[in-house]
Amino acid sequence: MNIKHPFIAEILTVIVLVAAPFVLPHLGFSLTTVDRILIWGLFGLGFDLLFGYIGLLSFGQSAFFGTGGMFAAYLLTEADFPYVLTSIVIGAGVSGLVGYLVGLIALRRTGIYFAMITVAIAEVFFFVEFNPLSAFTGGENGLPGVPTPSFNLGSTKLNFDTDLSMYAFLAFWYFVGLVVALRIVRSPVGAIFRALRDNPLRASALGHNIHGYKLTAFVVAAVYAGFAGGLLAVMQGFMPPDAFMFDTSGQLVMQTAIGGAGTLFGPLVGAIVWLYLSDFLQNALHLGATWKLVLGLVFVLLVCFLRRGIVGAIIDLYQLATGRRMTPEPIETTEPIAPPAATTKVQAPPRPAERTPTPILEATGLTKRYGGLLANSDIDFVVNHGEMRGIIGPNGAGKSTFFKMLTCETAPTSGRIIFEGKDITGMSVADVCQLGLTKSYQINQLFDRLTVRQNLRAAALSKIRGKFKLDLFRSLDSVPGLDDHVDQTLALVNLTERPNTPVSELAYGEKRRLEIGLALATEPSLLLLDEPLAGMSPGERVETVALLKSIAGGRTMIIIDHDMDSLFELVEKVTVLQEGRVLVEGTPEEIKINPKVQEAYLGGVHGEAA
Amino acid sequence: MVNWQAFISQCFNGLVLGALLALISSGLTIIYGTLGVLNLAHGAMFMLGGYAGWVAYAYSGSFILAVVAGSLFVMLVGVLMERLIIRHFYTRPNEDQLLVTFGLGIVFVEAVRFFFGSLSKTVTPPISGITSLGFMVYPTYRLALLGLVTVALLVLYFVLYRTRIGMIVRAGIEDSVMVESLGIDVYKIFMLVFGIGAVAAGFAGIVNAPVVSISPDVGESILVQAFVVVVIGGVGSFPGAVLGGLIAGEIISITSMFNPGYAYVMLFVAMTLVLVIRPYGLLGVAGRE
Amino acid sequence: MSLLEVEGLNAYYGDSHILFDISLRVEKHEAVAIVGRNGAGKSTTLKSLMGIVARRSGSVKLEGSELVAQKAHGIARLGMQLVHEDRRIFGSLSVEENIILAGLTAENKWPLERIYWMFPRLKQRRDSRGTDLSGGEQQMLAIARALVRDPKIILLDEPFEGLAPIIVRDLVHTCRELARNGQTIVLVEQNLAATLALAQRVYILNNGHIVHEGPAAEIKAQPGLLQRYLGV
Repeated sequence: MNIKHPFIAEILTVIVLVAAPFVLPHLGFSLTTVDRILIWGLFGLGFDLLFGYIGLLSFGQSAFFGTGGMFAAYLLTEADFPYVLTSIVIGAGVSGLVGYLVGLIALRRTGIYFAMITVAIAEVFFFVEFNPLSAFTGGENGLPGVPTPSFNLGSTKLNFDTDLSMYAFLAFWYFVGLVVALRIVRSPVGAIFRALRDNPLRASALGHNIHGYKLTAFVVAAVYAGFAGGLLAVMQGFMPPDAFMFDTSGQLVMQTAIGGAGTLFGPLVGAIVWLYLSDFLQNALHLGATWKLVLGLVFVLLVCFLRRGIVGAIIDLYQLATGRRMTPEPIETTEPIAPPAATTKVQAPPRPAERTPTPILEATGLTKRYGGLLANSDIDFVVNHGEMRGIIGPNGAGKSTFFKMLTCETAPTSGRIIFEGKDITGMSVADVCQLGLTKSYQINQLFDRLTVRQNLRAAALSKIRGKFKLDLFRSLDSVPGLDDHVDQTLALVNLTERPNTPVSELAYGEKRRLEIGLALATEPSLLLLDEPLAGMSPGERVETVALLKSIAGGRTMIIIDHDMDSLFELVEKVTVLQEGRVLVEGTPEEIKINPKVQEAYLGGVHGEAA
Repeated sequence: MVNWQAFISQCFNGLVLGALLALISSGLTIIYGTLGVLNLAHGAMFMLGGYAGWVAYAYSGSFILAVVAGSLFVMLVGVLMERLIIRHFYTRPNEDQLLVTFGLGIVFVEAVRFFFGSLSKTVTPPISGITSLGFMVYPTYRLALLGLVTVALLVLYFVLYRTRIGMIVRAGIEDSVMVESLGIDVYKIFMLVFGIGAVAAGFAGIVNAPVVSISPDVGESILVQAFVVVVIGGVGSFPGAVLGGLIAGEIISITSMFNPGYAYVMLFVAMTLVLVIRPYGLLGVAGRE
Repeated sequence: MSLLEVEGLNAYYGDSHILFDISLRVEKHEAVAIVGRNGAGKSTTLKSLMGIVARRSGSVKLEGSELVAQKAHGIARLGMQLVHEDRRIFGSLSVEENIILAGLTAENKWPLERIYWMFPRLKQRRDSRGTDLSGGEQQMLAIARALVRDPKIILLDEPFEGLAPIIVRDLVHTCRELARNGQTIVLVEQNLAATLALAQRVYILNNGHIVHEGPAAEIKAQPGLLQRYLGV
């Protein structure tokens, strides 16, 4: 989590892991307890990716923990499969597969629904494991007799059957799990996870297949859970049925929240706190079964007051003490950002030498009905390549709805949209963005917890990598052209001075520029701008108009706005909407003097009331 | 071979269970619909109702008093919970709300375990024996239970649809900002709604206690079942909770006849079907996430 | 002392600054209109007065009571009512329930009969659910809800939008009746003809600033004035 030294997390962990078995017993931790901590920590790594990085709170991880563990234990006991490590890996794989199937159902909903569904999943798996499948799982007795790992290395045999060697085995796999998790977090996929958490709507509108990424995280969490389950079986020599219990999921959630979600180390710290306290409360204070009550109270207090958990609080304190800002990413590029290219001729689609008036977008008969309300009615609309078009209209004219249909955020009730010769009616908003049509929003849709650079990266990654790519282990730095792309976009929207500023600290005008920048970073050939001047002071309007003029080269733009003075400076042609229909189209001069338009806006001043 | 007597008996059990789930889930769905908070402590409230009633019963010997005491106690817990804690979470992200209600649920359960131990306690039914219904015989108390729960559901319906308070609550579920615009302090309403939701669970907890003995963990499975009912019926919908409850009750009972282990699985299958075919629940309204 | 005195009102949506130092006043029994293009901030002005826009600063005094720091329900109880631009009828409640709900915390609430006398159409539809009403009926209900509370001042946000001309005509007639009976009204409306038929005084809002104030008669007589601020 440090800016200067890329691998400090890994190095520190190795040091701690190596020192632990010598230090911790003096602090009252038995090696067995440390083993458990490591297993919970590994279990939590996957969960933290799902909850901390994407924001999906699952109460069903016990299902995968149990599945992986039971499968491995079954192989090793009933099926007499001799290879311990391989069994664990197979168990994790099965767990991942089950996670995939479960994810297909559970991820159909988000937020509260998702949480409810995962609770149900946990319970179902427990019941199934307990009853119908008890022949395989040993029912309430679990599966005893799980052997310890041993490896035949030719001349010697490595046995992991002592306390210390078992610790080493577990510590090693925890470390591997940590390294993998860190790689995922530092990969393009990790960057998209974070964007997804902040604003799934925008992530999707920028061209990412967010369902695919969510499912990926879900499967990864399941794999981690299954692996940890297998390790538990091997460590205890016995696979307990309570691995499947809802309590297990609950404990994982609480530990992660206590330790701090979104930090990867949170679950480990939470496990340390939890296991230490439960030991301490039960043995030292002789509280017996009350330890859980105390822990529950501690948990509630932490949720109320220490919102980012212990690790989060430590990070906040560190920032406060050093006055340094930490980005959420473990690695940040340390090389100075290359100055923007001499000319800001950005990747715009190549423009023909002369303007050939070929249509880039053709909408025919577009209609949108919301129940009884007819928002848009039978709109025909054509925009040519390279055109700058304005759309105006009084309230209730249906302008925003029209844009939503063009970007395929909503499907039209009837009508067709042809973009660059392709029929895009009914496509998804992500696909349409990938084809080169995207929008900047009237109300800022940014990734609020990320920095400017991270915001633009999220958009650029969609352009460079496409809708969905499972490059989990690739470093962000190694994505070709990513930094250049981001730098050029920064230059276009005049945010080169502020790449590492979190969005929450930007001024309103800067946020609006970033809003446009996000859309630009996907390199659209057709850019829609929904009220880009909304909420701006007169000075900011002038700046924004200049900015829009500067990015116009090579791009087709359609702009909705109410500020007609500014708009008419920018556009060549104007479409006027009223009550869901096209009223008239023409040049700004023509529209200004058109009596029908006057009427629409001024409501028949010269006539009688209504 | 299907034993028809047993089958009908199970259907009846399903009806009783269904009514119970309908009541509990109504409480959950009203809280979620109005406040936007999913109360993960709802199962614990069911459990608390049982224990409060048991204590009152042990002291007074009167079952009616037990029911009243149990219900009022849980209502108080609900109101305090909202006032002291939940209120501060309205502006916090959904996950935090889930975490805090989850934590409170654990605290309630463990507190009861601390005071009363883990072993289950039986509550003697106030009415014993069986009644002949012509085509079958059925435990008398369970019939009474069905009656009690149905009355409770009717009372809830009456409160929601025939009183001023209920009108405010229904309006609040739709548009709490507008309710405020009309001069009504919505925070007071929230407190009341939480109390009503809690009392639904608490009442169910005590009246059901003679049938299923009480223990600190009795609320956990109830919580899961209530969730499934809400997903099936549609979030924020009282009729949906009733319909979903009845469906769930019958699924559990009838499956239990053949293989108790599969009851949950079938419930889960039903939930999955609803999610696929009607994602917002059978009687739910789109947009309530 | 004017019935409503607004001084230096600033309003924000998030950090989008919408209203810049708005000052206006409304006398008792007056009907005042705020006109301007879309995006000028007319609706935001009314919402800020009613306490629905969270971030606001400045001073809003109703009969001397400072409203700017209060919540909407307190402001409603002090006698201000807003008829929202999307009406916000409770669809799951009946017409009568909507009206009764509105009057619950009102000190001097109008009797149901008086509401029905004013809006006979609503009496006809008294048991219909909100979702079954037509646009015009919903608008009537929204106004009725505000009136039932016998408010000192009514804010009307685009009440005639999206309605058929004949319905608009009826509503304008109703509003003129109200004004004639002494109801203080602030009207935001794009339909200028209707606006000028109702209001005695007009404020023109442009990009969040008040740019002009004058009697309605003046505006009527000089269409160029409006053209300058509102026209295309």
